[in-house]
Amino acid sequence: MFKQTIDWIDQRFPLTSFVKHELTGYPTPRNLSYWWNFGFLAGFVLVLQLATGIFLAMHYKPDAALAFDSVQHIMRDVNYGWLLRYLHSTGASAFFVVVYIHMARTLYYGSYRKPRELLWWTGQILLLLLMAISFMGYLLPWGQMSYWGAAVITNLFRATPFIGDQLVVWLRGDYGVGDATLTRFFALHYLFPFIISAAVVIHLVALHSVKSSNPSGINLADKDNIPFHPYFTIKDMFGLGVYLMVFCWFVFFAPNAFIEAANNIPANPMQTPAHIVPEWYFLPFYAILRAVPDLIGGVIAMALSVLIFAAMPYMDRSRIPGGAHYRPFYRILFYLFAVDILVLGWVGSQPVTNTTVIVGQVATFVYFAAFLALPFISKIEERYLMSRKLPPALKSLLDAQGERSAK
Amino acid sequence: MIRMLLATFSALLLAWAPGAAHANEAVLDHSPLPEDKAALVRGAEIVATNCNGCHGLKYLRYRHLLNLGVSKDKVDEWRGSQSLDAVLASQMSDEAAKESFGGVVPPDLSLMASAREGGGHYLYSYLTAYHNTQDGVLGNTVFPETRMPDVLGMATATDAQQKAGIQAQAKDVSAFLIWAADPHAAERKHLGSYVLAYLAFMTVLLYLWKRRIWARIDQEPPIE
Repeated sequence: MFKQTIDWIDQRFPLTSFVKHELTGYPTPRNLSYWWNFGFLAGFVLVLQLATGIFLAMHYKPDAALAFDSVQHIMRDVNYGWLLRYLHSTGASAFFVVVYIHMARTLYYGSYRKPRELLWWTGQILLLLLMAISFMGYLLPWGQMSYWGAAVITNLFRATPFIGDQLVVWLRGDYGVGDATLTRFFALHYLFPFIISAAVVIHLVALHSVKSSNPSGINLADKDNIPFHPYFTIKDMFGLGVYLMVFCWFVFFAPNAFIEAANNIPANPMQTPAHIVPEWYFLPFYAILRAVPDLIGGVIAMALSVLIFAAMPYMDRSRIPGGAHYRPFYRILFYLFAVDILVLGWVGSQPVTNTTVIVGQVATFVYFAAFLALPFISKIEERYLMSRKLPPALKSLLDAQGERSAK
Repeated sequence: MIRMLLATFSALLLAWAPGAAHANEAVLDHSPLPEDKAALVRGAEIVATNCNGCHGLKYLRYRHLLNLGVSKDKVDEWRGSQSLDAVLASQMSDEAAKESFGGVVPPDLSLMASAREGGGHYLYSYLTAYHNTQDGVLGNTVFPETRMPDVLGMATATDAQQKAGIQAQAKDVSAFLIWAADPHAAERKHLGSYVLAYLAFMTVLLYLWKRRIWARIDQEPPIE
């Protein structure tokens, strides 16, 4: 009966061949570490955000007069509404944690390099979409930080030449952030998950075309690939278990760790909070924005700081395969960059003082200098490594690759 | 390499920390606040019979107090002719409040414990921070601009025993307001321990299953 059903479907839809091609026969490098779990985890977080978001939307009211109260209605009166809301608000932070680790893995292991440029760029588009959707979602609780965060960020579009002022009004739907802004942000916050889901499919199509990178940075011989299912389905499931333990600890025991105290005060256009801070995941970029004294310059620097990752495949000119594991100079650069982001994040969280301005400017300089130095450092490093003996592990991998391409 | 960078980083952070602290930020008293039911009920009584005179608690209804464990007699006494479903609105009109407090309506207290950095510790510190300055003027070190009088009488308390009594009251009020800001917190933590226990058990099983599947990796035929 089961086989008959499958046969019936297969004559009309490529079900079996699809499962074979993408799962049971999908070749995956056997040496993937747990750092390769985070793509799957990002997909899981997306589904959880969709599911909780749909149920929250059933009880939420996108109206400046009702929004704040409706969140409290969800927290107090809706059955397990507090759980839905904390899953969703913690999920937003979790999304960035997972995606940032996913990106850090890509950078560390050089997974952005040829032939995975399009995979990297579709991931970049996903990051931009994630930033947009989280920014719009943050307005919905209509607290003080929601309101003033949206006011500050929409105001940045004033930097657009010629049409800046009109553009800001067009984005807000009013001269200030208000009811019109709230309703359109809600509509878009509900629309974007569909766009993101489609972008995820494109990201996966690109992935299944070039296949996963691996810690060695060299495409493995066929015999060193294993089918995705069951090996990586079970590995992803175990990783999911570990992830859920950390995530649920926050949801059940520290759900307010990611909610600013000021956001429990209803939005008040007449009263600016003493200290406006964005959510933690925007802090490094916010610090770059504030490091440049001029508005237009700051906006350009902030936009560049996100977009510059797209240039990585071309800035990294080394022919030494693989990521930081075999490349000492690149490794130093990677850690320097990671520390620099932490410094920027700290600067972004602080009120502006003389110290934070100087630290922020130095850290911003280091941020861009790390990218701009990469073409030179990667070449110098390549010469340095070639002039010395390659590490034996790398040499044997390279030889194996040479033999394969000779065949 | 990493360790060196991290050490440098944390050293720099430590060096900057004093300069970064806000000049006007008062130090909060982080002594533990009670969480037991009796303290919450005592706190409810202080809030309903004192604070509620000027402050509303618009997300709380009288029946919520019954769920908390306050006796029916007391709730009936507090609500007077209002229904059990009525919210704990301030007993003072906004106009009257503005007149009494220099144009400011006392803020709603239902979310106060989550709307201030420090949460319940902020509330406790604030309530006990009243003192008389050398010129005999009432001051509050945590929130100097406050218009609220020293309701608990901290500034005028003379002996240690009286002060201890006021501190205990302030703790009960803070504990009650923490509950009021997030009434499902106890249920959440209770459910959370079961969820985490289940996840831990499931994750161990998944790990063993993963080991079992990966044990046969060398028998895996090459992918066609």
